[in-house]
Amino acid sequence: MKKKKLLALFTAIVMAVALPGCGSGAGDSAAGTGSDAGAQTESTGSAASADSTASADSTATAEGTLSYTTLNLEDHTDLTASIKFLHHKTDREADGTMAAMIAEFNKTYPGITVTTEAVTDYAEDSLLRLSTGDWGDIMFIPAVDKTDLSTYFMPLDTLDNLSQYLNFVDSWEYGGNCYGIPYMANAQGVLYNKAVFAQAGITALPTTPDELIADLQLIKDNTDAIPLYTNYAAGWTMGAWDAYVGSVSNGDNTYMNQKLVHTAEPFKDPGDGTGAYSVYKILFDAVAQGLIEDDYTTTDWEGCKGMLNRGEIGVMVLGSWAYAQMQEAGDKPEDVGYMPFPITVGGTQYVSAGGDYNYCINVNASDENKLASLIFVKWMVEKSGWCFNEGGYTVVKGGENPDMYAAFNGCEVLSDQPALAGEETFLNDMNAESELSINAGGNDKVQRIVEAAATGSETFDDIMADWNRKWQDAQKELGIEVLY
Amino acid sequence: MKKKRTPGQWLKSRDGQKTLVMIAFMIVPLLLLFVFTYLPFGQMFGFSFYNMKYVGERKFVGFKNYLKVFERDDCFGALKLSLYYMLGSVVQLAIALYLATILSFKVKGSAIFKGFMFFPFLINGIAIGFIFKFFYTRGFVFDTVLQWCGFQLDSLPYWLKDQRINNFSLVGTSVWRYFGQNMVLFIGAIMSVDQELYEAAMLDGANRFQQFKYIILPGIKTIVTLNVILSITGSLSAFEPPFVITDGANGTGTYFIVMHQIAHTQQKVGLASAMAIILLLIIFLATLLQKLFFKYVFRSAEDEDPRAAKKRERAIARIAKKRAGSAQAGG
Repeated sequence: MKKKKLLALFTAIVMAVALPGCGSGAGDSAAGTGSDAGAQTESTGSAASADSTASADSTATAEGTLSYTTLNLEDHTDLTASIKFLHHKTDREADGTMAAMIAEFNKTYPGITVTTEAVTDYAEDSLLRLSTGDWGDIMFIPAVDKTDLSTYFMPLDTLDNLSQYLNFVDSWEYGGNCYGIPYMANAQGVLYNKAVFAQAGITALPTTPDELIADLQLIKDNTDAIPLYTNYAAGWTMGAWDAYVGSVSNGDNTYMNQKLVHTAEPFKDPGDGTGAYSVYKILFDAVAQGLIEDDYTTTDWEGCKGMLNRGEIGVMVLGSWAYAQMQEAGDKPEDVGYMPFPITVGGTQYVSAGGDYNYCINVNASDENKLASLIFVKWMVEKSGWCFNEGGYTVVKGGENPDMYAAFNGCEVLSDQPALAGEETFLNDMNAESELSINAGGNDKVQRIVEAAATGSETFDDIMADWNRKWQDAQKELGIEVLY
Repeated sequence: MKKKRTPGQWLKSRDGQKTLVMIAFMIVPLLLLFVFTYLPFGQMFGFSFYNMKYVGERKFVGFKNYLKVFERDDCFGALKLSLYYMLGSVVQLAIALYLATILSFKVKGSAIFKGFMFFPFLINGIAIGFIFKFFYTRGFVFDTVLQWCGFQLDSLPYWLKDQRINNFSLVGTSVWRYFGQNMVLFIGAIMSVDQELYEAAMLDGANRFQQFKYIILPGIKTIVTLNVILSITGSLSAFEPPFVITDGANGTGTYFIVMHQIAHTQQKVGLASAMAIILLLIIFLATLLQKLFFKYVFRSAEDEDPRAAKKRERAIARIAKKRAGSAQAGG
C-alpha cells in the first residue's frame, strides 16, 4: 500500500513539474511562429535580420535605417500592414474622434489597417500589458525607467534631429535617442470662469497666491459660485497640483528633472510666495478659509465640467488638456478661460509647457509593422490636427496654437530640461522611495492637505516638514547626493 | 504472500488500474489548483524578498520588506479600521440571524422578502460603490429621505466628510450588501432542523425565543461559526467600499487600500507582497483564535448533562491526586 501511495505521489509530482516546462515550451514556439509569420510577409528582410536590428537598435538609427526625420510620408502610400494602437483616450474612442482620424489616415494609406484599444486605467494597466510583451505596435509610454526604454521601444530618432522639428521630445530621451513623441503638449495654468470673475468684480487676473485667495473670497462674497472646486474625490485631479512644483513656481526649468532630487528641503518656505510650498499653501488656505465646495468627499469629476461651464464654479486647477472638455460640457464655451498659475517669480510669471503622453513603437514588432507604425505616428503628429483640436500647445515647431493661450502673452514659456546623463532614473526612484510621487500619481499626499485644512488635524508647516523628512530619508536610502 | 510484479504487470493489475484512474481524475483539479493558486502565491512569496518594480531590475533584500511593514505606521494603522468592519460584521450577522429565524417560520410573502434582501448581494461591488457615493452625497438620497422623516439638513452630518462617522457609512454599505447572503445561508441551515422538535417544544410550552435558543441555535451552530469566520476574515481584507466610494482618502484607507497604493502607485511590489503575506498570517491567527473561542463557548452546550461532566472531572481529579500521592510516596 505504501509503495502505491508513493508511486501516486511521485507520478503527480512528475506531471506537475513537467507542466510548467510544457507551458514555457508552448510559449516559445508560439513566439517563434509569430516572428516567422512576420518574416514571411517581408520582402526585403529576413527573420534573422529582424532579431539583429532589435538588439542593435540604438546604433541602427544613427545609421538611418528607420527614423522619424528621414521618413518621407509620401513614399509609402502603398504599404500593407496591420498595426495596433494602445491608448488612454477612452473619451475620444467613444465619441468617434479616433475612428474619424483613422479613416482620414486610410485615405492616404489604404493598405495600413489600424486597430485601436482604449484603456481606462491606463497608467496602471499599460505597465502590466507592457510586461507581458503582447500589447501591439504603438502605445503611449507609461511610467518606465529610462534605462529600460530600449528593452521595450524602438528609438524614433536622435534627439538632435528630432528637436529641430518638434517641441518637447526630450522627455523620453536616453543615450541621445528619442523613444517617444508627445501627441499633444500641455501648458500648466488654471481654469476659470470669465463670467464669474466679472460678476465678482475681479478686473485683473491674479498673479500671486495672495491675490488669488483674495479673488476667491470675492467670488464667495459676491456670487453663488463655488470659488475653488478641489475635485478631491476623483483623486488624480488632486495630483494635478504637482504640475506647478517646477518651473512655474521658481522659474527654473532645470529644477524638476535635475535639481529636485538633489534638494535637501524642496518643501521649505522660501518666504517670498514662490516654490512648492506656496503652491500647496494656496490649496491649504482656500480649504481652511472655506473657499471650496461644501462637501469635498463627494465631488463629481464628470459633473464639474458642466458646472464650470455654467458658472457654478469659479476656479479649477488643472492642465490645459481639460480646457476643451470644459468648453464642450455646456452651452457657454465662451465663458471658460485659462490663465497662468498665480505665482510671480522676480516680476515674471512662468508657464511650464511639456508633452503629454508620448507615442512609442514596440521594439519587438516586425520591420513591416515598425515602418507602418512610424508612418502612423508621424501622420498623427503632423497631419491629424489632434493636438490642436484637444486645445494642446503645439508639438510641431512653429505650429498653430489655439486661442485659449491668449492670457499667456507676456509670460515666459519654459519646458523642463531632461535629467542629466546617468541620473535619468533618479526622480522615479526618489518618487517611489519617498512615496511622495510628485507628478507620478501622488494624489493622496495632496488629499492630505485638504483633510488637514478642513479638520485641523495638522498644520501646513507640519505636513511640509514631514515631506521634507521623507525626501531626505529617500535620498539617504538611495545614496543620492544633496547639492542644493 | 506477495508476488513480485514488474511495473508493467502492476499497471495492468486491478490495483494499478485503480491508481491510474485516481491519478487521471485528480490531476486536472490538482493542476488547476497548483497553476492558479499555489504557483502565483509562491511567486508572490518570492517577490516579498526583493526590492523590485513591475519592470526593471530586482534586488534581493532578505527580510527587509517584512521589517519595513512593521516599522511603517500606515500599514498597521490601517488594520485598526478593520475593527469598524468587524463591528459591522457582528451587526450584520445579528440582523441576518434575526431575519432568518423570522422568515423560516410561516410568514406571508416570505419569498418576496427573501428575494429583496438577497438582491444586494447579486449586484457588482463596484456598482454598489457608485450607488452609495451618490446615496451619501450632501443633499442627495440619504439626506432627502432623512428630511422626509423630519430631520433638518443643517443638523445632519456629512456622511463621508466627517472622519468620525465616514467609516461607519462605508461599513453600512458592506452590511447592506452581505447580510442577505448570510440570511439565506442561515435559512438553509434552519430548514434542516427537524420539524418535529418544534412540535415537541410547543407541546412543552416553549415560546418562540426559547425555540430559537434551544433548538435553532444549537442546530445551526456550524454554519454560524463558519459565517463569523468568513466575516471576520472579510473585514480584515475590506477593499471595495473604501476604494470606490472614497478612494481610500480621508482616513478610510484600509490595509488593502494601503497595499494597493504601495503596489501600484509607488510600485514597491516587494513591500506589498510582504504586506500580503503578513495579512495572510494575521488571518490565520484570527481564524485559529476564533476556532478556539467557539470550541470553548459551545462545549458546555454540547454536553448532554452538565452534572455528568462535573462527575467525570471530579473522578479525574481524584485519580490524578492518587497518582501524585503514590509518586511522592515512591520518591
